[in-house]
Amino acid sequence: MSSKNNVNGQASGFQSMTPIRPGEEHDLRAYLEAMHENGSPLARLPRTHMARFVIVENFHNDPSWGQRKEEHLDLWYLIFTSNLDGDIDSYLDELCEALAPEAREIWGRCVGCPEETKGDALKAYLKHNQIDCGFFYAAYGSSTAAEVEAALAQRDQVIAFATRVQGLSDEELQRSFLAEFGTT
Amino acid sequence: MYARAMGKLPSAGPVTATGTASHNIHGHAIAITVFSTIKWWGKAVLPVLFAVTKRVPKLTETLVQLSFIHFARWSVIKELPYNGEPQTKRKLRYPHMYFESNFNGGWEEYIDAFSHILTSGMAAFWGSSYGFPKALPTAPFKKYIQVNETEASHYYSAYPDATITMIKGALDVDEKLASLKRDAAKLDPAAFGTAYQRFLTEAQRSL
Amino acid sequence: MAERVTMDLADIQGDILRAYGNDYDCTSYAFVKIGCPPERARAWFSGLLEHVTTAELWDAGKPLTTLNVAVTAAGLTALGVSDEVLGSFSKEFREGMSSRAALLGDVGPSAPETWESGLGNGDAHVLLTINAQQTTEHERALGLMKAAMADAGGLRIVYQEDTQLLPGSREHFGYADGFAQPAIEGSSDKKARGGGVPLKDGAWRALAPGEFILGYPDEDTRDDPKRRLPTAPVAPLGKSAAYMVWRKLYQDVARWRRVMRDAAELYAGGDEHKLAAKVVGRWSDGTPLVTHPDKPDPEFDASGPGANDFRYDSDLNGRRCPLGSHVRRSNPRDALGFEGHLSFRHRMIRRGMPYGKELAEGVLNDDGIDRGLVFVSFQASISRQFEGVQVQWLNTGNLFGLGHDTDFILGDPGGKGKMTIQGAPPFFLSPQEAFVKTRGGEYLFVPGITALAALADGTAG
Repeated sequence: MSSKNNVNGQASGFQSMTPIRPGEEHDLRAYLEAMHENGSPLARLPRTHMARFVIVENFHNDPSWGQRKEEHLDLWYLIFTSNLDGDIDSYLDELCEALAPEAREIWGRCVGCPEETKGDALKAYLKHNQIDCGFFYAAYGSSTAAEVEAALAQRDQVIAFATRVQGLSDEELQRSFLAEFGTT
Repeated sequence: MYARAMGKLPSAGPVTATGTASHNIHGHAIAITVFSTIKWWGKAVLPVLFAVTKRVPKLTETLVQLSFIHFARWSVIKELPYNGEPQTKRKLRYPHMYFESNFNGGWEEYIDAFSHILTSGMAAFWGSSYGFPKALPTAPFKKYIQVNETEASHYYSAYPDATITMIKGALDVDEKLASLKRDAAKLDPAAFGTAYQRFLTEAQRSL
Repeated sequence: MAERVTMDLADIQGDILRAYGNDYDCTSYAFVKIGCPPERARAWFSGLLEHVTTAELWDAGKPLTTLNVAVTAAGLTALGVSDEVLGSFSKEFREGMSSRAALLGDVGPSAPETWESGLGNGDAHVLLTINAQQTTEHERALGLMKAAMADAGGLRIVYQEDTQLLPGSREHFGYADGFAQPAIEGSSDKKARGGGVPLKDGAWRALAPGEFILGYPDEDTRDDPKRRLPTAPVAPLGKSAAYMVWRKLYQDVARWRRVMRDAAELYAGGDEHKLAAKVVGRWSDGTPLVTHPDKPDPEFDASGPGANDFRYDSDLNGRRCPLGSHVRRSNPRDALGFEGHLSFRHRMIRRGMPYGKELAEGVLNDDGIDRGLVFVSFQASISRQFEGVQVQWLNTGNLFGLGHDTDFILGDPGGKGKMTIQGAPPFFLSPQEAFVKTRGGEYLFVPGITALAALADGTAG
């Protein structure tokens, strides 16, 4: 059951932190760093606003900071976070379906990941390793990614239109407006 | 009709995402990811801070006004779930704080703003972390962030070309345009002309 | 509480703190390439030192000529500075301006491939800036300089630009320029009103000298109880010095005039002076638009104490001075709120000069003459001050709530240079091809007098 702290407006914040199998760290990093080359697979999840994969090697220990004991991670960890629309549960359903091909290369390299790197099995693994937000900030949490994208395109359209029609008569202006923005 | 840009990288636009490693950037969006180790009393104080900040909008007023950040989060990690060998089954000695932000502008400008303008906010959120120098002067604070920051391996934005002010502007325009669209066909030309100029005048800060 | 700082004017080169361009008829910039071994180069370099003009005030009247010296990263190496010492200089200085072209927006018609020969290709080592009273003095000074180079052998001028003031201290688009400078504590405190940091109660204060001169506390370190100084190159080079940006910017005056004339037909009944003032943020005589939105002030005096004494707090909607106008972008003052904290660390000392013959008034067709502005700035950090302004304030409009709108006066081949002139209703200028094209540039370092001697001696490390 996901914490209420993961919610802001209609948006949610998901985070998982999974240990990486020793020996596979560099391959995983190389795979992730090359992932934009063919377009991010996250684009297949239209409910995603922004997301990231981060590899954490260890905690930072600085003796001058007064920390009495050092703290080390025994393995490298893979963090995945996403800022998404709607509830986390159904988002994970979509992710475990749409990212199945990549999931094998990504979470498939993590300790404890099920043999079948998709569907319910993968979802259970991610939820087992979920970290709840303490405080989640969203600048426009009431708008979905689709609404944002449509609004941005429309803004460009309005700017181009407004520049073009300067100086037209009222009749021409109205005609152009109806042609551009539809009558619905 | 007008085509929608779905997550496409800008063709040859201005560069604004400066001062950070390349994998932290997608178009105009920058990812920053920071870990810190928390002192024992932070475990109790931070959840209260989070709860209060969530319930008192005035506390995030400056953050909203700055309009640098799309999404951000702070999480406290008290334990790491066990997934079997070769992960060692043990408790963490300290709680750790995870911070991430998705923002626009340059990394330097971003940290400068936090240092000078959100000084007390920084003290509140990082004051319980080991090694946190004050937020001012800026140089040691920047160094602290740099040392605790981890570069992302893959960063994705669904609308990499857009900044927060553009998005807020676009949503504002959408709202204002809706009523004009609704009335457009019904008005006589002169009345439409007036309504259109009024729309532009009211929406100009968003265009 | 910060102590008041006194600047060691005898150790600082004069062109940083003084606007010699205003006092002299001609300013020449000569970029020298060192093709001989470092020892010979240093011998030549030593010969320059007695002629270098410091920032000390002149009690015996103005000298006939002034000379100042700056070096590029390649120039430091050519003078025998070790890689280790060079490593203590800022990253952007070491990389050089031409390698940062994509960041700066020097693409398309401004790309380094189009630059003047000798600029941006690593040939420029030492920049000699010479100011002279009249042509005779100018020729004599250049002659002496060339003779000294010939004596040394292996030195040649790879690029030279001769400039002079235009009447009325205007630049080529017709605007009074160069009189708005930052107020620096210990040097130009009396310019604080309008030139410094705008404070909440309507007062102003001068900026810490370390924002411009290395070796002094800056706005970040001035209140540091540990008294740490800002990052700077290792001693002796890091004291009394500044980084310098030099950029040759071609201005397409004819096209600017045509575009303003055409666009003005739909705006304010054809008043192209008003439209142009809206784009720039000042009237051509320098009157600020925000205080005089309808016409220039007949009493305006660009050199007077109140010339820059204005704020934007009564015009946050840009109805008087558009939010994206050039001067508002270059120096937002209090416009961004937060007590100026988003802008106070991005000021620059500007010492540019127009170059090339004027295009006669009223001429709307290009005559093929090369004219424009040699942009020169001095600052403690090229990336924070020069690049920060260029990248975040001029090449985009995000911080001003203007999306990706670029500074209209520059033009933008990328197509995102539209400009909104706020009003009831607003007026839109559509994106235009570049009015300003980069023809070349360099990042340089202006050493202090002691440091110059150390470089000449070979003791700089």
